[in-house]
Amino acid sequence: MSINIRMRGKSKGGVAEVKALIKHPMESGARMNKKTGKPYPAKFIDMVEIMVNDTKAVDAQWSGAVSANPYMAVQVKANAGDKITINLTDNTGEKGSESLTLK
Amino acid sequence: MKRRSFLKSTLATGAAVAAANAGLLTPSTVLADWNKKAFSAKSLDDALNGAYGSAAATASGDIKLKAPAIAENGAVTPITVDATGISGVESIAILASKNPMPLVCEYAFGAGALGYVSTRIKMGQTMDVIAVVKAGGKLLKAQQEVKVTIGGCGG
Repeated sequence: MSINIRMRGKSKGGVAEVKALIKHPMESGARMNKKTGKPYPAKFIDMVEIMVNDTKAVDAQWSGAVSANPYMAVQVKANAGDKITINLTDNTGEKGSESLTLK
Repeated sequence: MKRRSFLKSTLATGAAVAAANAGLLTPSTVLADWNKKAFSAKSLDDALNGAYGSAAATASGDIKLKAPAIAENGAVTPITVDATGISGVESIAILASKNPMPLVCEYAFGAGALGYVSTRIKMGQTMDVIAVVKAGGKLLKAQQEVKVTIGGCGG
């Protein structure tokens, strides 16, 4: 199963704001399960990259302190017609990828 | 005989140098992986040292840090760091001062990106949010207190 990403982007004057909403529990590994007394196992997105036409523009690393179902917005230099791709990996190795062409 | 032992020792040194080189190369390849040292650090200084190799950041008015004065739900605290007013931004990190592990996220920017990040983070209690910007090899920071009325680490 891959991680679900919804993304939007709009270019204005050579700069595109790329927004993404990701469906993910972002379990830090510190939260206790009160019934068993053991922590819920960690499952959070740790690596995020944003590509503009196959060139890496943003390389991010996250911890489990990023909110569940993360929202992210960044700005990249891109024009209409450029392809933006988001690639994600979580600490269990699950991956997600989504791309769009700027209008 | 002497020459032989000389050769031997040179070879051994050569091997040692190669090993040292390999050792020196490892950290740079590890950098592409998740920075466990920085993210598992329990203090702000250790987190910054792990992420940037230095904890000496100077306060800058050019970083626009947008965070709520009061967060009703600490589990989803919207944070925006706008450093587009600074040239040559290489990286932005967001830290929550009193979280068990302060470093929340770190964004490295290539030539195709601007120094701007907006995200949502978890905060367990009232504390300072710190944005650290690396630009031109220097560390700059801005911070703001966020009052949390409901704890956020429960997710």
